[in-house]
Amino acid sequence: MSTVLELKGLTKRFGGLAAVNDVSFKVREGGISGLIGPNGAGKTTIFNLITGVYKVTEGSIEFMGTPVQDREPYQIAGLGITRTFQNIRLFKELSVFDNVLTACHGSAKYGLTEAILRLPRFRREEKELRKKTDSLLEIMGLQDRVDVTANNLPYGLQRRLEITRALALDPKLLLLDEPAAGMNPDETEQLMRLIGEVRKMFNLSVLVIEHHMDLIMGVCEHIHVLSFGCTLADGTPEEVANDPQVVEAYLGSDEEKKQC
Amino acid sequence: MGYIEQILVLIGINLIAVLGLSILTGFTGLFSFGHAGFMAIGAYISAIFTARLHLPFALAIVAGAAAAGLVSIFIGRLTLKLKGDYFCIATMGFGEAVRVILNNINYVGGARGWESLPQLTNIWVVLGLDIVFVIVTWNLINSRQGRNMVAVREEELAAQMAGIDVYRHKMIALVVSAAMAGIAGALMANFIQFIRPTMFNMAKSTDLTIMVIFGGLGSISGSIIGTILLVSLPELFRNFAQWRLVIYGLAVIIIMVGRPKGVMGGFELTPSGIRKSMAARRARLALEAEARAAERVAQQEGPA
Amino acid sequence: MNQFLQQLINGLSIGSIYALMAVGYSLVYSIMNFSNFAHGSVIMLGAYFGFFALTLVGLPFGVAFFIAACCTALVAVLLERLAYKPLRDRRAPFLYFIITAMGASIFIDNSVIATIGPTPKTFPPELLPSFLQSGAIKIGTLDVGRIDLAMFAITVVCLVALIVFIDFTKLGKAIQATAYNMKASALMGINPGFVIILVFAIGGALAGVAGVLYGMKYQVFPQMSAITLKSFIAAVFGGLGSLPGALLGSVLLALIETFVSGYISTQFRDLFAFVILIAMLVIKPSGIMGKTTEDKA
Repeated sequence: MSTVLELKGLTKRFGGLAAVNDVSFKVREGGISGLIGPNGAGKTTIFNLITGVYKVTEGSIEFMGTPVQDREPYQIAGLGITRTFQNIRLFKELSVFDNVLTACHGSAKYGLTEAILRLPRFRREEKELRKKTDSLLEIMGLQDRVDVTANNLPYGLQRRLEITRALALDPKLLLLDEPAAGMNPDETEQLMRLIGEVRKMFNLSVLVIEHHMDLIMGVCEHIHVLSFGCTLADGTPEEVANDPQVVEAYLGSDEEKKQC
Repeated sequence: MGYIEQILVLIGINLIAVLGLSILTGFTGLFSFGHAGFMAIGAYISAIFTARLHLPFALAIVAGAAAAGLVSIFIGRLTLKLKGDYFCIATMGFGEAVRVILNNINYVGGARGWESLPQLTNIWVVLGLDIVFVIVTWNLINSRQGRNMVAVREEELAAQMAGIDVYRHKMIALVVSAAMAGIAGALMANFIQFIRPTMFNMAKSTDLTIMVIFGGLGSISGSIIGTILLVSLPELFRNFAQWRLVIYGLAVIIIMVGRPKGVMGGFELTPSGIRKSMAARRARLALEAEARAAERVAQQEGPA
Repeated sequence: MNQFLQQLINGLSIGSIYALMAVGYSLVYSIMNFSNFAHGSVIMLGAYFGFFALTLVGLPFGVAFFIAACCTALVAVLLERLAYKPLRDRRAPFLYFIITAMGASIFIDNSVIATIGPTPKTFPPELLPSFLQSGAIKIGTLDVGRIDLAMFAITVVCLVALIVFIDFTKLGKAIQATAYNMKASALMGINPGFVIILVFAIGGALAGVAGVLYGMKYQVFPQMSAITLKSFIAAVFGGLGSLPGALLGSVLLALIETFVSGYISTQFRDLFAFVILIAMLVIKPSGIMGKTTEDKA
């Protein structure tokens, strides 16, 4: 059982405030892990640290054994970590097809000159890119909406498109930031199944941030709980659900919230 | 040269600069207040090459493009990693700086300008280069590099997460657009046979940008239409010259607020472009019909 | 030494004009995170409003000043409501705002050229208050232009009023809160739309005052809007979004310009402003007093 992602003592300070404070956990290869916690606990900050949007203050992030902190975001994506966003960031004015086609760029190697002169390598690789896009869209059930402008898609399909786009980079680790936000129970159920299928089909690992407890408990094998930037609990869904500190953090208590 | 022919040459010259600016602003989403500065560099280099060094025109054009491109790399290095505002302010400063510097170099005529440059531009050269650059622009946009640039325009953060080296693609757009502006400048200098720093001031930069906007951001055919319109209109507007710009300014505001995609709506006036726009429209209507149908079903069934 | 002090005074008077412009621009930037590239045109309008209030309508000088500031405040607010707000409501990309600002600036500048005409106008000295009419007064061994002195004084008054307003009044605190975090302050009951209007009005008023002062010191002409670049450089120099930074940047920029102009050559004055800009962007883009912030996902 190997580790695909390991955070060691990860800390991020903004000025005097520690948004993430000495957090450590592992994501198993092929596993689905969940990151939960009240709003402001630092979950998205951790995603931003992993993907290189924020610079690490202290600690390390290792992906498949290599340290990735302080690399450029596009390099980290190239190494195999991709993500979706809490507030969907699709290429709004582009069609569904173009959103995914754009993300496939890494699968082609032709350079600027070959593109401008339309050399054979360009033609060959472009065809491959289009084939890849078609197959991805088919797998994810979007083949009937290929020409729709991303902005016009219904909300649930927009989320699915974002995941499809993330998959276009052939990632080994997929970070999903609140994928079920704004969904009703039916859609959440569909999403749960989708995540499981995607993991199997694409042979990757998943780290999910979520508030929907059904999704987290139903789909994750390992959960890490955050509160005010610190680790509260870490373990299987059963262990976490019964942890007294977690119960207190979520249900509140008479005492003041502790800073760790 | 006939009057109509002159207008056509002017359209053709401006088109090259506008296509370049379209790549930068329309497709990559970067706004440059000083693009005329790159035209100035191309113009003056060409003037030196043809009038002083007596070298062939083709070489002068290439030199103009190269010089403009090199300067743009320098500007890009300094500003492309910063927030959007800084890039705009820097390009504004750049445009003005080029003008001031040229004003003070007597070798190229200073503020008075440089007259009697050899006339080497003709309609065939311009037409040929236009065709070349329309193809180059089209090929660039419809490649993975071009799509990446559009992604940068749409959602820079998501583009990074999709593995796109944003800085590199912005730089490509900047250098290509600067080089093309340089070529336009060289052609201009050896057409009207006279150059002066004030010809390349902010008004010229905004003129070019307006041509891109009228045709619509993100459309090559739009840029062509925009250039044709805005180079030929002043001739019709002769009597109301001062009001022309007033109307342009107002039009820009109305376009940005109402229909930023301009005349072409972001699509191209080609068979595939028209097909694409119709497919998008059909898909959208289908979606709306589906949504209405789903609503009706939900109403009929009522609460479960 | 005398020459040096003379230049210093000259620099400070230009610096005060830059300060009014840069502060107004920075104020809008701190709330909207957006550079109002039409700012220069508003400054230019201020000069014209002041000029016509004085010459055409025949108002007394102080009143003309006040009217000019009110008119520019109104123009700024109209600009916001008609051009920027629709874009904000649609959450349009940053690029659209710049283009619209450019369009507004072209529209305003050329409207003035088409109606009033491009020839520069001078403030007739006989219409200025009497203490401003004779050239200079002597302070020690220095000749200090009366107009320069007045400009400096007016700027100080305006900026002090602004500081008092922002730091000590409820509205001012609302502006600070919104600048810090618009969503959070909206949740606290502060109406962001109102704050935006207020900030544009204040920025516009400051621009108007700057315009009149500039017109008094030099001349009134439509191409004045090009001074917008100087106010940007000053604001970037001091730190975009920081009001004390805008002030500091303006004074420093003006002093550097004046000394370059006086000791090297006037030709290179504008070029130096650009050099300062480039140097700032390379060394410390956040400006002298700026803070480095990271983008949030």
